[in-house]
This record gives sequence, structure tokens and C-alpha cells, in this order.
Amino acid sequence: MNSKTSPKYYLLILLLGMMCCLPSTYAASNDHSDAKDNISAELWLNNLSNALQHLNFSTSFVVVKNNQAEPYHWYHGVDQQGIEYEVLSVLNGPRRDTLRRDNVVRLLEPDSQPYSVNSKNISGPIPSVFRQNIDVLTKSYDFVSVGKSRILGRPAQIIRVVPKDADRYGYWLWLDQESSLLLKTAMITRKGHLLEQVQFTYLEITKQLSKSLANLAKAELPKVIDIPKMATSNDFSWQVNWLPLGFKQIKADHHQINLTKQTVEFMQFSDGLVNVSVYVAPSNLTSRPVEYVKDGATIVLTQVTNGKEISVVGKVPGDTAKAIADSVSFRNRTH
Amino acid sequence: MSESKSETVSLLIDNYQRDDENFDKAIFDLIEDEQLSDTWERYHLLGDVLRGETKASLPHDFSAQIAQAIAEEPTVLAPTAQTSQVSPFKAKVVSLFKPVGQLAIAASAAGLMIFGVQQNTASNNAADPSFNPVVQTTPFGGVADPVSLNFQQPDINAQKRAYIEQQRRFQALLSDHQRQIKLVSGENNKTQNISNRKEKAEDTPK
Repeated sequence: MNSKTSPKYYLLILLLGMMCCLPSTYAASNDHSDAKDNISAELWLNNLSNALQHLNFSTSFVVVKNNQAEPYHWYHGVDQQGIEYEVLSVLNGPRRDTLRRDNVVRLLEPDSQPYSVNSKNISGPIPSVFRQNIDVLTKSYDFVSVGKSRILGRPAQIIRVVPKDADRYGYWLWLDQESSLLLKTAMITRKGHLLEQVQFTYLEITKQLSKSLANLAKAELPKVIDIPKMATSNDFSWQVNWLPLGFKQIKADHHQINLTKQTVEFMQFSDGLVNVSVYVAPSNLTSRPVEYVKDGATIVLTQVTNGKEISVVGKVPGDTAKAIADSVSFRNRTH
Repeated sequence: MSESKSETVSLLIDNYQRDDENFDKAIFDLIEDEQLSDTWERYHLLGDVLRGETKASLPHDFSAQIAQAIAEEPTVLAPTAQTSQVSPFKAKVVSLFKPVGQLAIAASAAGLMIFGVQQNTASNNAADPSFNPVVQTTPFGGVADPVSLNFQQPDINAQKRAYIEQQRRFQALLSDHQRQIKLVSGENNKTQNISNRKEKAEDTPK
């Protein structure tokens, strides 16, 4: 080493030296027991994505949040032409079914006529990103393979999707060692507090497309509705100035809220895993302090400032939702 | 320190359990053996640093500080003579204050019923002191006492209405958010679907 070696290098050497002194077993702690442990978390998630797209499976699961359990059926299959079929139904309460054939999703909900949208994914309690390329998450999350456990009577591999900052929640997955399919998921705060979880109660993998899904091949689906074009930032007199790193705008429009018939200006953002909606509407109050409720991991937060009601909804910590709401600024022009 | 022992420590940290006697013994070893305890602590510290949670974690010698504090604490043997003197007085104090306490509990129970959902959710945030947006309904205690029954009725109704209105607002936002997610997932794929649609259009005429 020449004389130009800066103190930085010494520090590096010192650090390396310290790392060597640490018991070697820590480094080796991830590969105790068999070889499957060596598979990286990314590979597990890629396998999951493959399994969700290509396997024929029938499952039941419950979503556990707010001390309540909501049961679902979820079927998926692929026919000989490679067309995917998928059914997700809520089993308690009013019928809420989602059917998918290839890229048409039909939604049946109690408060509206059945309609279809063009989509390759059903959005439900399982984030659709796990069917896709998980690389979109690497900006905001790390993937860690943490060990094994037994779920649904099967050996399971635990994968954690760990947020890189304190602005969002973590997501844990328990994957079937054999098929890589989901056995359990949980949304967790940074401090390890459980917010909501999805526990599978039944899992069957078949070689053939199941009968009910085969029927879906012939079923007639309602006409695909047109989704209004995304509004540009010029259409609104406001903007969101702060979002956690990695959140991108995926939607902006004016629409009417079904339940209250209130017209709102609306933007939605996503970091790939969670979606955050921001609503702005005129209010007859000049100001109202912040109010919120939580539904599992989802926070609904509203406040009125300067005669505008600003609401933030999404699976993010309260601090984040509040910061997003506070960051909304208005241009001095009315229209 | 043997390899297998520290291996056990690392297994424990990963929450990986084995049903055998040696493993149980290893856990006891971990508690007893100072060197192993140090290893345990170091592994966790490493984990915290790797996950970037060091800020949230306690000072690294926290347990040592506690142990020292306990060691320095003088051992107090039960002072029997004193307690017999104190207890009758204490009993009086308790009997004096008990009704008030019960009232307070009853009042807070009523409050809980009214604030129901919000109280529930507020407790979720208890761990996070920096964030306390208190849900504002019509002021619970701030309403003027009604003079007669006739006045009481509308007051309660107004409170109820405000509460129901608020719940409705939350519910509406929540279901709209979920609905929009479904519509969004459609939009994301729109560009890909244009080509698919063309294929379909060609398919249909036959």
C-alpha cells in the first residue's frame, strides 16, 4: 500500500478485521439444516409468482383483523391454451365475487351493478405484486429469508418484506416449501406489532383445471367499463408534496363516492405493495382537527383545513398518512 | 465456547426450534453461561444493525445496567411492625375513595360506548406517542346540562347523528379506496390490453 492511503482505508480494514473476529457461525446461521435454506428470499418470491400464475389450486383462507375473521374461497387454474381463470369470493355477508378470465375481471358487489374491467390481476387481500415481478419493490423494501415454521400442517418458509424506512409497514409471508404457494401472510409494524393477517385453511393443488373454473370459460362476462383517463396535475388546484420514497402516482380523477354521493378530487399512489388514496373536497367547515379510524392495517384519516376536506386512506402508519395530508398544498386559483 | 452452542444460539434467534433434550438444555445453558448470553446479545445487536433498527433499540449494555441497579438496591425485609399500623388508615382511605373510583369507571365505560371504534383504534397508536390525532366528535362533556327532558332529547340525537355521520364518512372513504384499487389494477394493464383486444376482435367474427 502506498503512502497515499487515506484514513478511510484503515477504517475499512479495521471494520473487516472486526467482522472476521465475530463468530463465524453467525454468518453461517442462515444455512443450518438442509440446502433449501440457501435459496434466497428473492428466489422464493419468484417461485411464488410462478406458482400463482401457473398452478391449479383451490384454497380457502381467512383474513384476520380487528378481532374478526373474514373467510374467502380462492380458486385459480390454467387451461390447455394457457388462459388463466381465477375466482375470489367472500363467504360471509353480502355476495362479493370477483371472477377473472385471462385479462377480464368481473366484479360483483352489493352496492353496484356487476361490471368488468380489463386487468390481469384480481385485487383482494393478497397484494397482486406477488403474482408479478417483485423487482418493483426493491426500491422501498428488502427481502429476507428468516427461517422455517409449520403452517397448515406443512413445512413453511418465512420470507419478510422489510421496509427500508419507517414510513410503511412490513409484510411477512409463509410459503409452502413444496409448492411455494402462500400459507399465511401478515402485515407488521416496524416494532413487530401484528396489524392483520391472512391464514390459509385449505390448500389443494391439482393437475387439471377444476370444474367450476372450467365453467367460467363459457360464462358471459359483463361489458368492460371504460376507466376515465388520468387527470393531469393541471386539472387540480392542489398537489401532494410529500410521499414516502418509491410511491408513484397511478391514478387521478374526479368522481363521486358511492355511499355519500359526494364529488371528490382523487389521486392514488402506490409503492408496488400498498396503495394510498388522497381525496380533496370542499367542506362547509373552515377547519376540523384530524380524525381517523383504522381497519386492520388500513388507516382512514381526514382533516379540514381552509375549507378543504383532505382525506388519506391506505395501509400506511398514522404518521405517514398525517404527513401526506399535511403536505397537500393549494394553488391560489379557483376554477 | 463450542461451535454447536453458538449454533444453537443462532437457531434460537431465527426462531427455529428443535424438539430434543439437548436443545432444551442448550436454552438453559444460554441463560446460565455468561459467554453464551453475550453471544446472544451480540447476534441481536448485529441483527438490529443490519435491519437498521439500532435507533429504536436500547443501549447495548441495558441489561447490565439493570442488573447493576438491582444489585445496588438494598435488600428490604418485610417491615411487619409498620404495616400493621398503616393498614387501618389505608382501609379508610380506600373506603372514602372507592365510590369515586367506581363512578369514574362507569363514566369512562359510557365514554367508550360512544367513542367505540375510535377508542379502539387510538390504542393501536399508543406505542407511537408522536402521533396523537384525537378523534373529535361533539364534545362529550362540554355540552350544557339539559334543563328538562325536552332539551335532552335533541342533544343526544345531535351527538348520535354526528357520530353516525362520521362513521358513514369513514366507511364511504374506505370502500371507495378499495373500489379504486380494483379499478386501478385495470388501468395499469390497459396498454397491454390494446393488442389483446385487437386479437379478440379478429376472433369474434367467426
